[in-house]
Amino acid sequence: MRISGLRCWKMGNREEYPEIITISTKEIGSEPVAHWRVVKPVIKYETCIKCWVCVQYCPEGVIKESEKGPIIDYRFCKGCAICANECPVNAIKMVREV
Amino acid sequence: MGKLDLLSGNKAVAYGAKLSRVQVISAYPITPQTPIVEYLAEFIANGELDAEYIYPEGEHSAIAAALAATIGGARGFTATCAQGLGYAFEVVAQAPAYRAPLVMGVANRTLGWYWSVASDYSDSMPTRDLGWIQFYAESCQEALDGVIQMYRITEDERVLLPGMVCLDGFHLSHSSEPVDIPDQDEVDEYLPPRKIYKHTTDPTESESYVYPSLPVSLHTTYRKIFENAMQRTKDVIREVTKEFSERFERDTHGLVEEYHTDGAELLLITMGSMSTAAKRAVDRLRDRGVKVGLIRMRFFRPFPSEEILRIVEKNGVKAIGVVNRAISHGTSMDPLGAEVAATLYELKNRPNIINFIAGMGGGDVSIRDFESMVNKLTNTLNKENVRETMYVEHPIKIETPSVKFSDAAYCPGSQLCAGCGATLAMRHILKILGKNSVLVFPPNCVSASLAMHFPSSWMGVPYVLANYAAAAAYARGLQRAYKYRGKKVYVTVIAGDGCTADIGLQSLSSAAESNEPIIWINYDNEAYMNTGIQRSGTTPLNAWTTTTPAGVKWHGKKEEPKDMISIMIAHRIPYIATASPSFLRDFESKIKKAMKVVEKAEGLAYIHIQSPCPTGWRFPESKTVEIGRLATLTGVWPLLEVDHGTFKLNLKPRKLKPVAEYIKLQGRFRHLNDEDIAMIQKFINKRWEKLLELDGKIMW
Ligand SMILES: Cc1ncc(C[n+]2csc(CCOP(=O)(O)OP(=O)(O)O)c2C)c(N)n1
Ligand code: SF4
Ligand code: SF4
Ligand code: SF4
Repeated sequence: MRISGLRCWKMGNREEYPEIITISTKEIGSEPVAHWRVVKPVIKYETCIKCWVCVQYCPEGVIKESEKGPIIDYRFCKGCAICANECPVNAIKMVREV
Repeated sequence: MGKLDLLSGNKAVAYGAKLSRVQVISAYPITPQTPIVEYLAEFIANGELDAEYIYPEGEHSAIAAALAATIGGARGFTATCAQGLGYAFEVVAQAPAYRAPLVMGVANRTLGWYWSVASDYSDSMPTRDLGWIQFYAESCQEALDGVIQMYRITEDERVLLPGMVCLDGFHLSHSSEPVDIPDQDEVDEYLPPRKIYKHTTDPTESESYVYPSLPVSLHTTYRKIFENAMQRTKDVIREVTKEFSERFERDTHGLVEEYHTDGAELLLITMGSMSTAAKRAVDRLRDRGVKVGLIRMRFFRPFPSEEILRIVEKNGVKAIGVVNRAISHGTSMDPLGAEVAATLYELKNRPNIINFIAGMGGGDVSIRDFESMVNKLTNTLNKENVRETMYVEHPIKIETPSVKFSDAAYCPGSQLCAGCGATLAMRHILKILGKNSVLVFPPNCVSASLAMHFPSSWMGVPYVLANYAAAAAYARGLQRAYKYRGKKVYVTVIAGDGCTADIGLQSLSSAAESNEPIIWINYDNEAYMNTGIQRSGTTPLNAWTTTTPAGVKWHGKKEEPKDMISIMIAHRIPYIATASPSFLRDFESKIKKAMKVVEKAEGLAYIHIQSPCPTGWRFPESKTVEIGRLATLTGVWPLLEVDHGTFKLNLKPRKLKPVAEYIKLQGRFRHLNDEDIAMIQKFINKRWEKLLELDGKIMW
């Protein structure tokens, strides 16, 4: 019996299609999710008391500490507004995405 | 006449069951079957269907309960697919011997293989030899009609076999088409009420019941008798589908559908929804003068060999392309291809045959694909005795993710909902566990999100996707491998409440009793969220879910949640705790304690985390942490631990906040009145007093 593919695209090329698919734990990766956002957190640094509550509670872990205050990696912020809800001094404002 | 409505395949199946007046429904959610059981729950909650509804802990039990209901004289209904069908396999195998006319909806989905949720027949095909009738729908209309017809067939005294109504997951289950919903009285005329037979197990009506065992010397004989019943069923199918066609004025007649078979030199044989594209290809090719026709398998069991032979012989078919979403590994053919080939053996002039393996894992098979297949068939016409297998492939380029993170245990960008409590929990769990871990994931929201960007993951530690009911067993095996090989690796299960409290409980219990040094983290979002908010064993009293809707008859979940902490206390494991991602210091210290316990190989550590879910609990995603905090401050989610037997309440507010503050924020409790809330408050108060009494006590 003959066995073949009807629409081959580099089939049988072991580099393209390894028989056993593995992924690395050393280097991981993902795609930005910024397009999910309807509202965007903006930090009012003049109000911020650097308590880092937002850093702790951001589910995505996209807020980092820095000298001037928290910095948000907007590529991965989903706009959930938990940071704004938890900030004890209302230093995070949610603004509509344009 | 009935009424025309736009229905998905799943809703059509639910309507089919409702119109068949099913009496006992027992099923367990699984994508893409879930909406079937959700619609049926809704019908009952709204008073549109009078039926018993059973919520079993998994499919093994779900199908067993539906089967037993049928054995006991009710019109039973169940539905499942994929891993669910696989998990229930032994029950499925047992059903035919009871000669119980159970009907099961199967929203076909890949079984086992790399966790596709879309459709191929790797789930229902392995059950093909067990003695069930198998029907495969092409359209949503056929899915509805198929259920009604199947009850008529299975309950016929010449048959009395269980039957599956299969519909392609997503291609049919989730796509909407206009469906003619017949009137109830029309269906009642076609389908008489469920009869009680001599072998029905009902001591009030029958003095006999099915004998469950056979001497060895009668097994072969009974296989023959059973096979005769299967073969006899073909006539019943021909008869009752003809009657259906006449009554309801649509062609649903016969075991196969013929499409332009007259004078067909070339023949496609297909099943399920892909047949529609195949028919369009036949139309186009016929316009171009290609003599091609199609047979669509309505029924795969019993196998319509007479029909196939008749059509092939009558038209002098020269080449056949059997196209199927299945493969029988080790034979290089799919079961349909192999059986068509075997059927053709009787002929003197056998046509050439190409078995096309197509659309595996739910891939689309397009009109152009079918045209290419027919082309391939044409190319065989100058050869004889061709038997070939071809894979219809649409390969893609493998691309690496656009943002990369080095040496991280976690990176952002998961597909979990915005504001998901489990994301917050996972991020902190991974931070504490570190890289020297292996995680075991049964299916749940978190694990489903891990492999959404092929071939990457947002987690920098290896994980193993476990079968839902066996998560603890996977962890045990891994842990023992590392132990034997002298390695120190933390093996941690990340399970939802559905796994922990329901389907995975016996595996967990066994691992706990055996003192396996593994960490079990139950992130409890209080329902099956990954399949779309169905009730679990820990769903709170009165909460709305899609399988406990609030309607005229139902008022949310009727039962109190299962007390997992007491269950774990009964196992006397070294560490048991509740935690909340709203109290992160407490949360992280508990993960550390669990790691200590398994490091010293003392036994299993169980951490039960409340994981607020904006999507399922119906609250704004900004309130996840606030709701978690309120849960603890109202006493709904007390923070406690049982450390080597000593019970401790970790947080003791001087006065609990009123539970209404927690409940009123969530849409899933919207239907509750003040009285309901007062009841819940009473329960919470009582439990809190009990917990205060236990504080500091030694539990065993
Ligand atoms: C044997 C089996 N039955 C059913 C399913 C379908 N299924 C996948 S995830 C899931 C629900 C998960 O609920 P839970 O464990 O509470 O985790 P959550 O999704 O809520 O996080 C179900 C029912 C399956 N994969 N395997
Ligand atoms: S909006 Fe949500 S995801 Fe974005 S930074 Fe704030 S907490 Fe993080
Ligand atoms: S929570 Fe508010 S005050 Fe605290 S660090 Fe963040 S922005 Fe600043
Ligand atoms: S459904 Fe709930 S638990 Fe699942 S990802 Fe969404 S928020 Fe998280």
